[in-house]
Amino acid sequence: MKLKQILMATTAAVSLLASGAVMANEGHGPALKHAEINVTDQTQIQRGLTVFTDVCMGCHSAKYITYKGLIDYPEIGITREQADELRGSHPLAAGMISDLNPEDAKVSYGKVPPDLSIITNARRGGANYVYSLLTGFEHDPSGKVTDGNFNEYFPGNRIAMPDPLSWLGHDASETEELEQQAEDVAAFLAFIADPHQNERRVIGCWVVGFLLLLTLVLWRLKVEVWKDVKH
Amino acid sequence: MLEKMMKTRLFAWVDERTGAEAIIKSQLTEYPVPKNLNYMWNFGSLALLVLVLQILTGIFLAMYYKPSAALTMGGYTVAFDSVERIMRDVNFGWLIRYMHAVGASAFFVVVYMHIGRGLYYGSYKGPRELLWIIGVVILLIMQGAAFFGYLLPWGQMSFWGATVITNLFGALPVLGEYLQQLLRGGFAVGDPTLNRFFSLHYLFPLLLVAIVGGHVHALHVVHSNNPEGIDVHGDDQKINFHPYYTVKDAFGVGIFLTIYCYVIFFNPQMGGYFIEVDNYVPANNLQTPPHIAPVWYLTPWYTILRSFESKLLGVLMMGGSLAILFLLPFLDRSKVRSARYRPVFKQMVLLFFVCVIVLGYCGHSAPTPTLKLVGQIATAYYFLFFFALLILPKFEKTKPVPDHI
Amino acid sequence: MTDQADQSRRNFLYVAAGGMGAVAAGATVVPFIGSMFPAADTLAAAKTEFDVATVEAGQLVVIQWQGKPVFIVNRTEEYLKQVDGHDEMLKDKNSTHIEAVRADWITPENLKYRSIKPEYLIVVASCTHLGCIPLFKPTAGRKEWGESVPENWPGGWHCPCHGSLYDISARVINGSPAPDNLHLMPYTYKTETQVVIG
Repeated sequence: MKLKQILMATTAAVSLLASGAVMANEGHGPALKHAEINVTDQTQIQRGLTVFTDVCMGCHSAKYITYKGLIDYPEIGITREQADELRGSHPLAAGMISDLNPEDAKVSYGKVPPDLSIITNARRGGANYVYSLLTGFEHDPSGKVTDGNFNEYFPGNRIAMPDPLSWLGHDASETEELEQQAEDVAAFLAFIADPHQNERRVIGCWVVGFLLLLTLVLWRLKVEVWKDVKH
Repeated sequence: MLEKMMKTRLFAWVDERTGAEAIIKSQLTEYPVPKNLNYMWNFGSLALLVLVLQILTGIFLAMYYKPSAALTMGGYTVAFDSVERIMRDVNFGWLIRYMHAVGASAFFVVVYMHIGRGLYYGSYKGPRELLWIIGVVILLIMQGAAFFGYLLPWGQMSFWGATVITNLFGALPVLGEYLQQLLRGGFAVGDPTLNRFFSLHYLFPLLLVAIVGGHVHALHVVHSNNPEGIDVHGDDQKINFHPYYTVKDAFGVGIFLTIYCYVIFFNPQMGGYFIEVDNYVPANNLQTPPHIAPVWYLTPWYTILRSFESKLLGVLMMGGSLAILFLLPFLDRSKVRSARYRPVFKQMVLLFFVCVIVLGYCGHSAPTPTLKLVGQIATAYYFLFFFALLILPKFEKTKPVPDHI
Repeated sequence: MTDQADQSRRNFLYVAAGGMGAVAAGATVVPFIGSMFPAADTLAAAKTEFDVATVEAGQLVVIQWQGKPVFIVNRTEEYLKQVDGHDEMLKDKNSTHIEAVRADWITPENLKYRSIKPEYLIVVASCTHLGCIPLFKPTAGRKEWGESVPENWPGGWHCPCHGSLYDISARVINGSPAPDNLHLMPYTYKTETQVVIG
């Protein structure tokens, strides 16, 4: 079990770094900030879940993650009671749907907030993008965009989402806490985008290890059999 | 092991009714192959392996995939939801889907290497012209199957890729509009398109199986070329396919599977090359993503398309760039096959490989004036290569070809 | 060609490669066959909630549980009396044939009613013969049902496909092609009338 956890954490870190490195080159805006996330860390993912339900879910849904999933995926692993509290009158098998009506959202914000189930796969930079965006609200240097709608990491800078963590104008003493919240929710979103990713990496170690061994045997077999052939 | 199996009574029973022994002998245990094939000859068997894997994974995905563009909550569709359900709820669905998605790219990697080898060592030349032509048909059907398959997740790239490509057909004079509607089953890409693309995506691999059978049969009639590009005579220069090339192919399969599985388990999106970032955004027919490009294996031809100002010309040249592959055996009349003994051809063909990679890069990137020019130069060379082969034998001084391997 | 040592090494490599190849092929089968079993969301939908108060006295409703039809009957006093008096006609009056169809809440008192609350019978609505849905013919005798039921009909179900008969507690009647009583399933009362099936 211990070995499995180490395996999970290291492979997750390595492959996230690798994919992050490739994606970092693709961005056109300013370089994204690096988010310290660990998709095998239950405490971070649970903190991220809290940020998600307290802040994001006011407008955004995550329809592919059910309340039951919050219990069943060991990486989230909240208790049945916690799930019951979160879901209220929604069934356990329902997705995490925001109470904000899409029509009302269109009136208030001009567009329907995207579902966040697979958002880290659907944006270049993944978790780094989410983290940078949440901590990227600034005053518009040209003064054209109203405060709360100018984000230095959003393509075109003008974003419909109004500063969810109240990053703009926050107290210097709060910086660390807000960054932590942004990172935690990025970790949660990175996990739910592909909830079998840790299992996948663990199985992958076994599969690739086995195949390396098999290839070694096949190589020796080839060399052995080809000793017959005179050149 | 095979020898032991062939001595059993069961095998004798089967043999009496099928002639299995004669087939195994002529196609496997006593099928003569030049003894000097290098590892570039492994890609044929690998292509067959990937075809089998694609069909197998595809059959299981089709048990859960639903080809419907009906809207569901949050701007998603039934099709998109069914893919996410495969990724999340179906047992090992994530594995099977990643195998299929990575397999599509792997298929093209392997087949492009296979084609490159055929070009370099002159495997398209007589008596293997028909073998080559069947191979080009396989390439076209593969590209079709890949294109149909890419629509199925109904993401932004799926939708806009299909929109762009079906629009190409609209550029053709007279028939264009009808052809476009025939493909789409409507006035724009929509639910009927998705349904028929699913049907065709299931059909094309079955066609592939039949045509690959023809490809292998044609190979076994004219036999393998070899790195020297010469006709091989005499028993001392040939060895039986089994066991020598079965173990060698098996070794190649080992290497391939290791890399394939590494990608599946550790980097299945390949940084957006194998599964593009925008395809995780549900299809929206009212908003085009800022930058759309086909998947990497179609980008060289996409660049050729973009290199011409006239839409019709671009479409024709793109079609021509594939069609000219059919003519290759008849354009190149050189008596010498292998690039090893053709110094000028060797430089040309290596430059051609570079040119295709450049075309691929240009097609993947957002268009800029510089890249457009680079793409046009590469396009020009792409065609120049083929027509230069027509006159090349007149002045190329080939090196002396050995009489045995 | 090769000497003795080479030959044995070669044989070893053949066996090792063949064995590992077989392991690889076997391991590949697991996810493919595994994928055909019910998916996680299908399993999550394995429980069904239902309010039995919505069934009027003497009425039958068919609901779905795990994709299968389920009968919920509100049995009147009259129907409950029809449970007795025809034991000799029943193939399996104590529902002992299949352990699995004996839910854990069965006690000697409710055995003949086959339900937690006698008035509400909840059974899988598939005939145990070949799975058709039997027709509800609750009143005793032939008056309402004619030739489709026997003369001494105690009231219950008649399966239109192959003529199987069940009494008002869904116990199969002698002479039916169906081998067993209609299946019970585990269920509990969450509140006075809210029942959780599965």
